[in-house]
Amino acid sequence: MVVATQAPALGAVGRPEGHGGASARTLKAFQASPATYAVLLIVSAIFFVPFLLMISIALASDRTSAQNAFTIIPGELVWSNFSHVFTATGLPVGTFVINSVIIATLSAVGQVISSSLVGYAFARLRAPGKGVMFMVVLATMMIPAQITMIPQFLLFKELGWVNTYLPLIVPNFFSNAFNVFLVRQFVSRLPSELDEAAQVDGLGYFGIYRRIILPMMWPILTAIAIFTLTATWGDFMGPLIYLNKEEMMPLALGLQYMTSTSNAMQLPPWNLVMVGSILLTLPMIAIYYLGQKYLYEMNVSVGSAGVK
Amino acid sequence: MTADTGEVLGAVRATSPHRAEDAPTRRTPLRPRLTRRGRIEAGYFWLFISPWLIGFVGFLLGPMISSVYISLTEWDSFTDPVFVGLDNYTEALTGDPVFWKALWNTFFYAAVSVPVGLAIGVWLANLLNKKVRGRKFFRTLIYLPTLVPLVATAMVFKMVLAPSGPLNDLLGLFGVDGPNWLLDPTWVKPGLIVLSTWGAGAATVLLLSAMNGIPREFYEAAEIDGAGPIRQFWSITFPMITPIIFFNLIMGLIGAFQIFSQVYILTDGGPDNASLTVVPLLFREAFGFYHLGYASAVAWLLFVVIIGFTILAFRTARGWVFYETEVR
Repeated sequence: MVVATQAPALGAVGRPEGHGGASARTLKAFQASPATYAVLLIVSAIFFVPFLLMISIALASDRTSAQNAFTIIPGELVWSNFSHVFTATGLPVGTFVINSVIIATLSAVGQVISSSLVGYAFARLRAPGKGVMFMVVLATMMIPAQITMIPQFLLFKELGWVNTYLPLIVPNFFSNAFNVFLVRQFVSRLPSELDEAAQVDGLGYFGIYRRIILPMMWPILTAIAIFTLTATWGDFMGPLIYLNKEEMMPLALGLQYMTSTSNAMQLPPWNLVMVGSILLTLPMIAIYYLGQKYLYEMNVSVGSAGVK
Repeated sequence: MTADTGEVLGAVRATSPHRAEDAPTRRTPLRPRLTRRGRIEAGYFWLFISPWLIGFVGFLLGPMISSVYISLTEWDSFTDPVFVGLDNYTEALTGDPVFWKALWNTFFYAAVSVPVGLAIGVWLANLLNKKVRGRKFFRTLIYLPTLVPLVATAMVFKMVLAPSGPLNDLLGLFGVDGPNWLLDPTWVKPGLIVLSTWGAGAATVLLLSAMNGIPREFYEAAEIDGAGPIRQFWSITFPMITPIIFFNLIMGLIGAFQIFSQVYILTDGGPDNASLTVVPLLFREAFGFYHLGYASAVAWLLFVVIIGFTILAFRTARGWVFYETEVR
């Protein structure tokens, strides 16, 4: 889904400020009144409350947790929760984390390899039927996952892949339409002189891909890796369908499991659940900040695509 | 869809001349080497796209076709499927009150959460577009929630929406006695909407960059003509960002119709199915009760609803979405 505008989208965060440059007088429309600041402060404070609550609960003692008596501002600082989460829940939380890392990394590798191959072909190689194929690629973006969910489950069950990582990883090695589209857009904008010259010099199509195009593709591939990492890291439904053995679960599913397995008379260990939530969140914030400039760069290259 | 179709048409246009070139060269034996090269190139094209092609056939087209078939059967995956025609569809549409309830809940959620999120997004973007000190700081704080994985968001909002949680504390400041959000059939959907508005910052960032791209001259001219900030917003800013608003509206609607994790984790559809939306219903039917036929029918009905609303949105778009390039 793409909407045509000149406005860059994703990497907007890294964009230099546009209005109210030092040289020009500030127009009325851009003058910030005290009310502007008041609203911004209040809204950002409200937006920050869940984070505070997350931290506060993560640092609460087991006793506070059992009484469900949490405060927004951290009242206790039980840092040992951050080690207890791995030992005191009765669940293999360390394994959850490792599972998440394995699934997310391999999925990203799969998407990067496959979408770079397919996107390159759609951008550079000529073949009868290519236009129709590309329309099919775009059309597949419209199909919601729920439609294929049940037959896919039956397929993977038939293959004996239930309770393995395979159903979550393998489909990523067959690329997805959106990433193919991104790579195609990106490669289309690269100058074609280089690969033409390489072709004259006798390099084959795979050689052109491997030696010429691939090294130039890394900004878009980094962006795709980030998309895939964040999507698979946070994915809940996929693991919920395919994994029911504790030692195979990724952290996102394991956290939910942690809140549901406790004895009915007992509250879940909320303090440790929140530590888990922080463990689930921090890598996403880190990846975003490390990758921000690639997302921005990709955005510039893909240009008109107001894509998310 | 305009750009989409443009893109697609572009792709077709770009390739069809080659096809036209190929045809005559194949007939004239004057340039046989080019034909051979063309054929090799085409071969490589299919080789390169084979990962997508295999995935398309194996994980999408094949499953789609079997999904149609499964939806016409009664099947628990252990015994043989029994062909029942359109029974599953008629059951969902006429016999099962839970399906309609789930559809209504989903519709309610989408119809409120998406516009509310967008309105907040536009409002915040407009504030941040002013010459604000610490803009980066505010923008980061507003964007940060969108980086939190849904499962973690759901865990925190279980606490935020608790009877004595921060949301009710806030309402208490205004003398409002907040409800038990997640256990009250009336308030559980608004509770889920509160959760979704925490992510309004995603739209804000997109909108802010769109606002940055609006030529300054427009505002200068408006100011000379005596238009105030509010008039300037509705006459300049808003029309210029409608494409981004529209994009967010479409993506938001599609996403909202497919809401699952929040519902599954926070309420599992309860109380009294008041928060049961279509995908959790489908999940429950498929993986809880093994009504694979019925669940597949529900999936197709959801698809029809999503496509229907998407088309509706595109229809209305002509009236309010403004593309600068059309005018110039």
